[in-house]
Amino acid sequence: MRNQLTKPSDAEIIRRIIDGDANSFEHLLKRYQDYVLRIVTKHIPYNEVEEMAQEVFVRTYQALPGFKQEGSFRQWLSAIAVRTCYDFWRKRYRSRELPMSDLTDSHQSWLENTLSNQSDKSFHEKGREKEARELLDWALSKLSARDRMVIELVYLEGLSVKEAAGLLGWSVSNVKVRSFRSRKKLETLLKGVISA
Amino acid sequence: MKPLQRKYEALKKILQEAYLGKENAEVGEQWQLHVMRRIRNLGPVQSGPSFFMLFEQFVWRLTPATCLLIIVGAIIFLKLGFFPDYDVLTLFINNAEELSLAQLF
Repeated sequence: MRNQLTKPSDAEIIRRIIDGDANSFEHLLKRYQDYVLRIVTKHIPYNEVEEMAQEVFVRTYQALPGFKQEGSFRQWLSAIAVRTCYDFWRKRYRSRELPMSDLTDSHQSWLENTLSNQSDKSFHEKGREKEARELLDWALSKLSARDRMVIELVYLEGLSVKEAAGLLGWSVSNVKVRSFRSRKKLETLLKGVISA
Repeated sequence: MKPLQRKYEALKKILQEAYLGKENAEVGEQWQLHVMRRIRNLGPVQSGPSFFMLFEQFVWRLTPATCLLIIVGAIIFLKLGFFPDYDVLTLFINNAEELSLAQLF
């Protein structure tokens, strides 16, 4: 009775899926849906999140036979989610579908006000976050897909170079070099906006 | 610290807060159903290596043998003197009476 009530482990569900029971994937979907959405929301525009999160789960399903049980499924899934987001941006940059609108006067005045009055209250007032996000989106759209992912993971989320390398599937030295260069690019961009 | 650098540090902090403060997107039951429909359409996952993976493995295994075959073939061609233009010209010079250019083409 007690065994029937306990939820099956990830390993047990994965074994069932590999044995041909595709319906068991629903357990993994429900268990990790919020986790995947949290990752995808950070990297992808809101209107694309549902589609990308779907893509993450489809890729996960297809890659399940290659999952090595020694590692954590959660970590493996997060790497798939991050790489799916990276692929999204690569396609976007390649097809030049990025919104390349320049900063408006309202952004500029918001920036001046915010930097001259740096209290928490002023930032969290309605509309402040929106403008901050628009400025961030503008700055990130000026970088390459690779630089963008490194900036988001290392610079904005505060992950270590090793963690970011693990998620992206790149070498640590590659992430280290790219992190330094992309940070310099972002700094130049933002300083240009501040001094304008 | 210079004023520009100080302003930049402040802006950096604001942007980090804005990035981390993004609200989580919510999806409904329809979304779950749609994902599961896609999963079922894909069919059961392949537990063994796929045909393309096997093909890729074999291609790489056969690479040294292929390279060796190309080198041996090139040496044989050079040794046998396979120069068709030269051979035709020699034939034409030696048998000029019987063989005209018109016959050649």
